[in-house]
Amino acid sequence: MTGQRSAPAPAAQDPAPAPGLVFEAVEGGYGSATVVRGLSGMAAPGEVLCVLGRNGVGKSTLMKLLLGYIPCLAGRVLLDGRPLDRLDPPARRRRGITYCPQERPVFDDLSVRDNLTLMRHDRTLAAFAPYFARFPILERRLNQHAGTLSGGEKKILSIVRGLSEEERVVLLDEPSEGVQWENILHMAELIAERKAKGVAFIVVEQNLAFAERIADRYLVMDQGKSVLAGPRAEIGRDAILAHLHV
Amino acid sequence: MSPIFLIQAINVLYGVTTLAVLVLGLAVIFGLLGVLNIAHGEFVMVGAYCAWAVTADGLPFLLAVPLALVVCGLLGLVVERVLIRPLYHRPFDTLVATWGLSLLLRKTAEAIFGLGFRSVRLPLAGTWHFLGVDYPSYRLVLIAVSILVLAALFLWYGSSRTGMRIRAMVGNADLAQAQGIAVKRLAAGTFIAGTILAGLGGVMVAPLVPVQPFMGLDYVLRAFFVLVVGGLGSVLGVLAGAGAIGGLDSVVSALIDGTYGYFTVLVVAILFLWLRPRGIFAHN
Amino acid sequence: MTEGKLAITRRTLLGTAMGGAALSLAPGLIGRAAAAAGEFKIGLFIPLSGPASLFGPTGRACATLAADEANKKGGILGRQIKLFIADAGGPPADTAKSAVRLMLQDGIDLAIGSHDSATMEALVSTFKGKIPYVYTPVYQGGECDFNVYCLGETPAQQVEPSVTWLARNKHAKTFYLIGDDYVSPRKTNEAAKKYIAAVGGKVVGEEYVPFGAPNKFEQSVTRIKGVNPDVVLITLVGADNVNFNRTFAGFGLDKSIARLSMLLEENTLKGIGAESSNNLYSCMAYFAAIDNPANNAFKAAYTAMFGANAPQLGTIGVDSYAGVNFAKALVEKAHGTNARKCMAASEGVRFEAAAGPVTMHGRQVDKNMYLANCNGGQFNIVATFKNMKSGTTCKV
Repeated sequence: MTGQRSAPAPAAQDPAPAPGLVFEAVEGGYGSATVVRGLSGMAAPGEVLCVLGRNGVGKSTLMKLLLGYIPCLAGRVLLDGRPLDRLDPPARRRRGITYCPQERPVFDDLSVRDNLTLMRHDRTLAAFAPYFARFPILERRLNQHAGTLSGGEKKILSIVRGLSEEERVVLLDEPSEGVQWENILHMAELIAERKAKGVAFIVVEQNLAFAERIADRYLVMDQGKSVLAGPRAEIGRDAILAHLHV
Repeated sequence: MSPIFLIQAINVLYGVTTLAVLVLGLAVIFGLLGVLNIAHGEFVMVGAYCAWAVTADGLPFLLAVPLALVVCGLLGLVVERVLIRPLYHRPFDTLVATWGLSLLLRKTAEAIFGLGFRSVRLPLAGTWHFLGVDYPSYRLVLIAVSILVLAALFLWYGSSRTGMRIRAMVGNADLAQAQGIAVKRLAAGTFIAGTILAGLGGVMVAPLVPVQPFMGLDYVLRAFFVLVVGGLGSVLGVLAGAGAIGGLDSVVSALIDGTYGYFTVLVVAILFLWLRPRGIFAHN
Repeated sequence: MTEGKLAITRRTLLGTAMGGAALSLAPGLIGRAAAAAGEFKIGLFIPLSGPASLFGPTGRACATLAADEANKKGGILGRQIKLFIADAGGPPADTAKSAVRLMLQDGIDLAIGSHDSATMEALVSTFKGKIPYVYTPVYQGGECDFNVYCLGETPAQQVEPSVTWLARNKHAKTFYLIGDDYVSPRKTNEAAKKYIAAVGGKVVGEEYVPFGAPNKFEQSVTRIKGVNPDVVLITLVGADNVNFNRTFAGFGLDKSIARLSMLLEENTLKGIGAESSNNLYSCMAYFAAIDNPANNAFKAAYTAMFGANAPQLGTIGVDSYAGVNFAKALVEKAHGTNARKCMAASEGVRFEAAAGPVTMHGRQVDKNMYLANCNGGQFNIVATFKNMKSGTTCKV
């Protein structure tokens, strides 16, 4: 009883922690090569942060830092104000972070069905009806090995799996790569729906047209650093393009 | 069909099924974790000593099954934690480490039990008469148990949730982690399952062979041949490898003699290493 | 560098050995000069590693017992015996290296070896007759190199009497031969075929399994079942011997077919186990179960020295006891270790083996042989063959 009464006390002293996923001055890389240098940013609930930049500027490395695949050499990552530093990827998943990687986005050796139901307690496809309505191809290929899908189909499978986890934070690494425009639009709709329910997104993209449809904020990277960041309304297309093309 | 021919046919079946069970643990650990456990034979040896310890105390043979399960399981747990886990993705280092482990286990067995042969009394003596031939009862039971174990594992791996997660981990560890699969724990569990399978194999063969600290060497050699032929990472490969190696050895031994049987096995293993290094089912 | 030096030393030594009577006197002289003060150094080559190391502890204990007994009676020519034990369980080349070290550094006067015949050949070409080399275990016979003395059972002593006994007492006519595929079993079987023919028997099958391979015996046993011989003559060793016999009995063949194993001692029988030992025979010069005054005294002394948990006695291991006793008898008769004098003195030399006194002829040993059946996992002596000749006579 007394515990319950005293619980809100710390909140009164500190400013309320920022909800969503926040990263502050993170640095990291592989071996002795530091790829990401002092990057900061955040995705608040109901917001999409689009990370843009040319190939090899460290976008995927940033994702791996956020997810704990590689350790942060400096800075920190917070979820709803709580640091995630010591947690490995499965533990961060349990905290509510969904991830759809760029490379090898699905389990090639498992069927499409098993890819979708692998971690679902009921192991049924009941929850997937709305996704199948948008991507009927998946339903047709349920019993096929995921390895037999095209690159774009794998991406669709991956994002459907990710969104169906219904978590508070979703990290997508180049979800539109190889996907037909029509399906990219479906993806954008799905993201918008989830966003409306308060989900925070961080999306790495190369496809500016897709990014413009979903982004609330931009973070443009070059050589591991932030070169342009801010709300979509404040950043013009030309400014972004200047950094995307050499 | 002459009775001798029928017995030789059962011998082939016996050779293949028991070999498959004895290889299983090694195949699981190698195929799924990429760890070549040179000490596999020593886990078989530990299982065999479990059978000896139980029967020497006058207890029923079947008690060796839970004993081997516990002993080999605990051993596997410790070995995975201190020896294997720091060395995942360093195949040569694990090779050397498990080789050292095999020496350690042999020497430990030697220190506890001595070098002398131990014999485990057959829990099921005599022969069964069927189709006009007599065949040792215990071997017939072993054939049945081996087939059951293989079938159960095959089904479990293919359809259970854990089996599926292991396949996910093996195929794409990063994605498995992203989906919340505790890969380290699952890998440890897989390793322990492999050592337990080896131990149970040891219990099975203990009443048929001399139990002694060096016995593991016999099994590890044949097991590697099976992996060479069968390739990695599939239960079907283990069966194919055991079928090819155990079958060829048994058939040639039956037709000519043991030297030719062994020779054939060596030649086939070399041919596979040379022409199909990824095994019988390798797709390019 | 060191290797080069060693090679030169060895060549020098080799020259000494080959250099004829005048030069070969030199080591003898040195030996005699040291005789008054020093110890008599014996290199004992027994397996301490590898699968055969099972026999090492028994060999060490038995040699120690014999040396202790001899030293109480004044040693050899008044010199106390000191044993230098070397591992002979590894590759022959490794054992040969130890032998070079023992000769050059420790200056052993004589070598005793109880190990396989491949190691024996390596040691023969290492010692080159410079020191007496006593090879003690059961072997295939026929070894006559210069200054080498063999004490072990030969096929003539093992196979001939036991085949004859089985033919007479068990009406055995057909024989099936199975062995490990290396020199000793093949030579033993060569001899066995003669003895089988001599008693009017017939060899109805012969097969070998690869030596050192992980052998299984279901196929062989089934083949034997098909041929249905009266006797299977087994020249398999160690784990193969255990495996074969357990499989044989498992298939129920022990009821109708007798087995005669050429290398079956107490440890192997323990592995075969009581339920697989019926109708199984072994013919050896020594079993711990031999009940005669000499063996009872030997066992009492052994237990007194090493306690109740001493290493298991068996023909391999106990041979080292005869080896040390033979060394004493030989060197004292030859008044030293001069090769030619030792060779000459060896003829007719009499010494104590564990189960009683034996005599050397043609650098091999005539001895009593014992045939035992193994019913119930015990050696039960069913026949004694007195004073059997080795079948090999070497120049002395």
